[in-house]
Amino acid sequence: MPATLNPEDLDAEQRAALEELLFRLADDEYVHGERLIEWQIYAPTLESDLALANVAQDEFGHARLWYDLLEELGHTEAELIWERPADEFRHATLVELPFAEGDWADVVLRSYLYDAAERLRLDALVDTSYAPLADRVGKVLSEERYHLENAQSWLDRLAEGDSRDRVQDALDRLFPHALSLFAEPEHEAAIVDNGFRTMSTADLRIEWLETVIPYLESLGLDVPEPDEVERPSARGRDGTHTDHWDELAAEFRRTYDELEAPEPARIGRERV
Amino acid sequence: MDLETVKERAGPRQFAPKDDMPEEYRKAATRMIQFHANSEVMGGYLEKPFIRQAPSIDRKLAFSAKVQDEIGHAQLLYRAAESLGVKTRDEMLDELARGDGKFLNCFHYPMESWHEVPMIAFFVDGAAMHRQATLKNTSWTPYAHAMDKVCFEEGFHVKHGESMLSELMNGSKATQEKTQAAFETWWPRIIQFFGPTNDKSVHNDFAQEVGLKTKSNDELRDTFLDTYVPKAEKYGLVVPEYPRIEYDEELDTYHVNEDDLNWDEFWTIAKNASEGSHEQINSRAQAQEAVEWVRESMHGWEGASGAGTPQAAD
Repeated sequence: MPATLNPEDLDAEQRAALEELLFRLADDEYVHGERLIEWQIYAPTLESDLALANVAQDEFGHARLWYDLLEELGHTEAELIWERPADEFRHATLVELPFAEGDWADVVLRSYLYDAAERLRLDALVDTSYAPLADRVGKVLSEERYHLENAQSWLDRLAEGDSRDRVQDALDRLFPHALSLFAEPEHEAAIVDNGFRTMSTADLRIEWLETVIPYLESLGLDVPEPDEVERPSARGRDGTHTDHWDELAAEFRRTYDELEAPEPARIGRERV
Repeated sequence: MDLETVKERAGPRQFAPKDDMPEEYRKAATRMIQFHANSEVMGGYLEKPFIRQAPSIDRKLAFSAKVQDEIGHAQLLYRAAESLGVKTRDEMLDELARGDGKFLNCFHYPMESWHEVPMIAFFVDGAAMHRQATLKNTSWTPYAHAMDKVCFEEGFHVKHGESMLSELMNGSKATQEKTQAAFETWWPRIIQFFGPTNDKSVHNDFAQEVGLKTKSNDELRDTFLDTYVPKAEKYGLVVPEYPRIEYDEELDTYHVNEDDLNWDEFWTIAKNASEGSHEQINSRAQAQEAVEWVRESMHGWEGASGAGTPQAAD
């Protein structure tokens, strides 16, 4: 079915559902990018530095695309990024966790868990009923494929030999946070009934588990049992976050606050 | 080739890896290109925190791309330096981590606020562009090729730097004052970017004789001032009284009074011996040491294809 819905067609319930879906997409990408850039200049080699910077910029670029869709619904960049209370961000806690110094296993494993989820989530948006979303999914999906390949080829190598323990540590630490990627949205019924997403969150979760568990096990890693794992109290999707998030949000808003809330500059494109 | 022949033949893109170059030339060229490559890394190091602190998503993207470009330039330049057969890239990166690798004076100072960012992103990068444009005519062909790509990308950086400066100087009175204060702090360092005056420069004469450099430090500094003094004034910055900048009517060029600059500080920095040198070299070295285990793992993968050493996607 072709995407037929546009911003002006939405009633209040549809709008709330769509916004919830978009905030999750945008916030995940933005915060993931914000952590990835910590590795610029610090990656193990010049080549991996360049590859990582590419991925981080893709994530920021995707975040910008999704925030643009929220701007079409009447929000401003200032409201969306610079002035939104930290506890209204909806990203999963997986992407807000800081990296321990030198923990390249974390960035590789985190990227894999995240990119695998992102790919499934985007696949379920290809046939969305919301036209502005349908227009953008293809480009994002093609870039995410490269991210997933990049993460997997690193993981294939790091899971061999002495570095496997580091990967296992990262997996034990990150897996409980990754499960929060699939917390059911408040407006799940409206998201699915209106065809904004063509697969339920519960089914996405199952598909993700069926993808990542066999792959990680094939590398000789022990994957925690999803239903038995001890989950962190902060879930991200509901606005609860780890303490690291407040710190990160304060850092990226430092200049904006210091300059007394300037209109966020656009480079080479018009404001919607 | 003997040194006399090198001097006779010296000219733009005259020498390439197939030529049998004398040791003096190879060493001088390595020193110069390695310095340039190191500067790209250390410049990126200084700018990196401002990817996070950029006050709009577009600026964040542009700044992340800029830091990525600096690493790309370093990669190209280390390759150009390696082509002289004196040092490998790993040796040069080790020297940088150990504190033996030299780099631009401006990147030895800490940068703490967004008001300082255009001092690097506009003025220092502008100065670098100015110098690099002349290096497209350097005699070592791989270096000249690297300059073609570097200059192309730096053009975007300087434009972005200019737009940041313009935004700040159109901000609140307090913002303008902080930007002016940052300018006053950075201005003498920016002038010293071009190195010591000709009479005090150790390497200048030889580098010019063999065509590695095509313009002297003094010529570059003067022509930089001709362009950037008016630009600073255009955005409402006031050029500090000291160092005195004099306009030479006869030659139609600005000229700095060298004695007004702090050369003790410059030479301390040139030895990597300032407080900022220690801070910046050591924190980068520490971060690199922390991923030594990854590089060690990678040694075991050599010969294997794919993303063990991933290339940039585009």
